[in-house]
Amino acid sequence: MNNEEYLYLDHAATTLMREEAFEAFKKTEIDAYANSSGGHALSRKAKNILEDCRDYIASCFGAAPNEITFTSGGTESDNWIIKSIYSENKSKQGKLVTSKIEHEAVLSSAEWLQSKGYDVEYLSCNKNGVIDLEELKSNWSSNISLVSIMYANNETGVIQPIQEFSKYIKQKDRKVIFHSDVVQAVSTEKLDFHKLGIDSAAISAHKIGGPKGIGVMFLSSKFKIPSFFHGGKQELERRAGTVNVSGVAALSAALDVQQRNLEIEKTIINNERNIFEEKLKQSLDVEVVGQNTQRLCHISNIQFKNFNSETLMIAFDLNGLGVSRGSACASGAQKPSHVLVAMNIPQKHINSHLRFSFGWTTKTGDGLRAADKVIKTIKEMN
Amino acid sequence: MRILVAMSGGVDSSVVAGILKSQGHDVIGVTMKLWEGPNGEMPETGCCTSADSEDARKVAAKLDIPYYVLDYTSSFSKNVIDNFIDMYAQGLTPNPCVECNRSVKFDHFLDQAKKLNCDKVATGHYAKIIKNGDDFELHKADFLAKDQSYVLHMLTSEKLSRIEFPLGNISKPEVRQIAASLGLKTAFKKDSQDICFVGKKDYRNFVNSRIDVSSKGLIVDKHENELGIHGGIHGYTVGQRKGIPGGQGEPKYVTKIDVRNNKIYIGNKDELTTLKFLLDDVSFVNDIAFNDLTIQTRYNSINLPCLIQQINDSQLEVELTEPTFGVAPGQFGVIYQNSKLIGGGRISSKILESAYE
Repeated sequence: MNNEEYLYLDHAATTLMREEAFEAFKKTEIDAYANSSGGHALSRKAKNILEDCRDYIASCFGAAPNEITFTSGGTESDNWIIKSIYSENKSKQGKLVTSKIEHEAVLSSAEWLQSKGYDVEYLSCNKNGVIDLEELKSNWSSNISLVSIMYANNETGVIQPIQEFSKYIKQKDRKVIFHSDVVQAVSTEKLDFHKLGIDSAAISAHKIGGPKGIGVMFLSSKFKIPSFFHGGKQELERRAGTVNVSGVAALSAALDVQQRNLEIEKTIINNERNIFEEKLKQSLDVEVVGQNTQRLCHISNIQFKNFNSETLMIAFDLNGLGVSRGSACASGAQKPSHVLVAMNIPQKHINSHLRFSFGWTTKTGDGLRAADKVIKTIKEMN
Repeated sequence: MRILVAMSGGVDSSVVAGILKSQGHDVIGVTMKLWEGPNGEMPETGCCTSADSEDARKVAAKLDIPYYVLDYTSSFSKNVIDNFIDMYAQGLTPNPCVECNRSVKFDHFLDQAKKLNCDKVATGHYAKIIKNGDDFELHKADFLAKDQSYVLHMLTSEKLSRIEFPLGNISKPEVRQIAASLGLKTAFKKDSQDICFVGKKDYRNFVNSRIDVSSKGLIVDKHENELGIHGGIHGYTVGQRKGIPGGQGEPKYVTKIDVRNNKIYIGNKDELTTLKFLLDDVSFVNDIAFNDLTIQTRYNSINLPCLIQQINDSQLEVELTEPTFGVAPGQFGVIYQNSKLIGGGRISSKILESAYE
């Protein structure tokens, strides 16, 4: 590795925990370590922290406190809602509609339903990575019970027409749950679930500078779904297990700082990403995915023509720049990204993409520094 | 030097990474992912299981070196698996490990090293590279019991100039000692033996699952007397004894596989002895040599004295000084001059002059 500072541009995977979150975690573990469901003074203290945080977190997303359940993170929340439509009774088996570009947490849960005999439909997206609402319209059927569409894609950052989906679904059938995986979006977007018409949403704390292992399941009070975890009667009897109050406090603290600084953070991130992309386009044969459509400001998915992303990623790492292909895979398999496949990216370029993602620690000059590292590395490889 | 080390997760390559790191080199570890099942699952046995790449990752973390997994599954599937199936369908005996080194591992690995500005690549093979003037020679490992030069015979001097085999003069027990002293958890891990994509199962099932070769045919002796029925030629290799109809007095062996007529020939052991045969697709490490030669016709078999004659650029005729048993078409014949590897090629199915006529 070079002596100069390592540049981390994989914030979409996870990011540094904010100091305030650390403090809140520590303070809660010291001052209120008791079980929040217990019957004594220290438990009441924990319960107060828990409920204050729930109130605050709910308010950040335009939700009511009783619509917020704490989970272990986005993957659990997605699993919970998708699998909630499972019924052993064949006649009660409703259909799931989702998209081809969802996160693995949704897609794998959908496959699980399919393995149980469920009908699942995967909507396509256009070449810009926008999911096709018309396809849902032309294939609408009365047995649909859940529609799951991500707010913004985690590999490309492309924002989906969530309100249009919601409007259409509500007009067709108000009993259908409209779920949205907003895990990636909350890093840089302010969301109001009820205004957006989302009935259910999955959130991970670590994407906004909170700790790993804590997240939120938002479910509109209009709906009720079966529990997934059985045991004690915590979290309004929805999810058993001693509540991770310190995690919740840390999430709440991270969210508090993030909400207050969101506009400043977004301005810096957006600026640095634009400088980064412009510089690359001037110097290299690259294409920016979804450039002409609405994107999250922190994600940049770049196609490096005639380069293999696997090799590039290693070369960047060795030159002090940490990026990823979009989703981490333990075995390192280089499968073409399902998102890029759905976008009809030509076969010869499909393994030439890398995701650069900026975050709350991004500072002025990082965009240029990143571009310089990329250009230098590629020149060394030629 | 910046060195790219192929790490399988086993003790040998772990020690290679450790040795090079302790010598002060800038070491980068990689695992080559070669095979996965139809649903993306990693093999259960062999040299690249998911547990193995996890072991390699842990060793790399312990040694504090960068580590990556490289995906060569499509190249492996095209060059090794398809070839494996094809060879059995042709009644030949494939050697997928040599095929993998020949057409997948080293080419990709050297290419990757170049792209990452590495000066050399290193693996945990037991073999020695000796520089002699401008030539890089490939020799048997000092620890003969583990010598793997046979499976590396296709490496040319130019390629060897960019490769290091740090285990060439170390014994296996020493390797385990070094691993233990470096605190590597792979120190006492068992060696892998199985073909990675077949695992512990019968290779015939694997071949069966890939192609329809189950057409029945005749088993005959050299006088065309019918002795039984076989269930598909892919279930047989030359020299095989298993699955041959009994009650023939002496034990019988497969002596020839006639693909065109879907016939298996069987005979006594002495009908399997070979004196003269051809090698195809021959390659040489440096210049060809003609004196004091020996040949190895299988991995781990003993070296037999021989004479060679060059037919053309890619073919050699080999004549053994003593007839031998079990030279199987499809396997590789590798020629040595003492410990030095001269070259090698695939044993041809065409001319096999039996000592018994």
